[in-house]
Amino acid sequence: MYKVRIVVVCGSGVAMAMHAAYKLREHLEKEKLYVHIDGSGNNELASRIDNYDMIVSNAQVTVKTDKPIFNAIPLITGMGEKELVDQIIQKVKEIQTAKNSN
Amino acid sequence: MDTSTKTEEIDFAIDESLILVQDRAKTREEIIKKLGGLLQTKGFVKDSYIQAVLERERTYPTGLQAKVAGVAVPHTDTDHVNHPAIAIATLANPITFHVMGSPEDQVPVEIVIMLAVHDAKLVIPILRKVIFILENDQALLKMKNANSKTAIKQAMLDHIQELKEKEKKK
Repeated sequence: MYKVRIVVVCGSGVAMAMHAAYKLREHLEKEKLYVHIDGSGNNELASRIDNYDMIVSNAQVTVKTDKPIFNAIPLITGMGEKELVDQIIQKVKEIQTAKNSN
Repeated sequence: MDTSTKTEEIDFAIDESLILVQDRAKTREEIIKKLGGLLQTKGFVKDSYIQAVLERERTYPTGLQAKVAGVAVPHTDTDHVNHPAIAIATLANPITFHVMGSPEDQVPVEIVIMLAVHDAKLVIPILRKVIFILENDQALLKMKNANSKTAIKQAMLDHIQELKEKEKKK
């Protein structure tokens, strides 16, 4: 089973990213999804982005990428959180299916 | 650092002397300077703190729309902080902040929670306790409607207590 790698990004510093990552981890663990989640500051993202399958960010992602990007804010305010998590779960499953069939 | 006032210490100081009730500030800059000033007077932060918070707010805004109120959580790097604390202001008139992650968008803010964390290792546990309040409608309403510093402080302490109890149950 492919372990989907997710990076949660905060505009500056990792603090918010870690909080959002913590919440996302809780949600995804409940679904028993096979994922790895890291927090990152926006400045480090460029050098690390190749290691990840998808990005959850609370700031504009300035790195050019085709990878799926989700807005982390609902994880911080709780508003729209369920919808966001559902979307992320969908995407994780999509990526896993695609990788497993290779 | 001023230790003459009794402050509640959880992971950080929270005290009436760091709280403004129904403040009449009209701009982001004004309220950030006021709250930063309280933290600076008590020795929690260095002289560079206020400027650093103002600059950060410009590039990485901290406005957030919670269900029952607009909230801003201005803060900056640990370099500018001596001792962890939070300063809270409720506003008589909402002030526009830009939205975290979407700097073109705006949110009318009624509650400002300014964070000062001195140790990178503590940023996460402290921030988490505070940010979780965004999902605590009751706590935010209590703050919004409070007419005393004590009531605001108590709302935050109650929220943190609830959080601890929730985490214990896990």
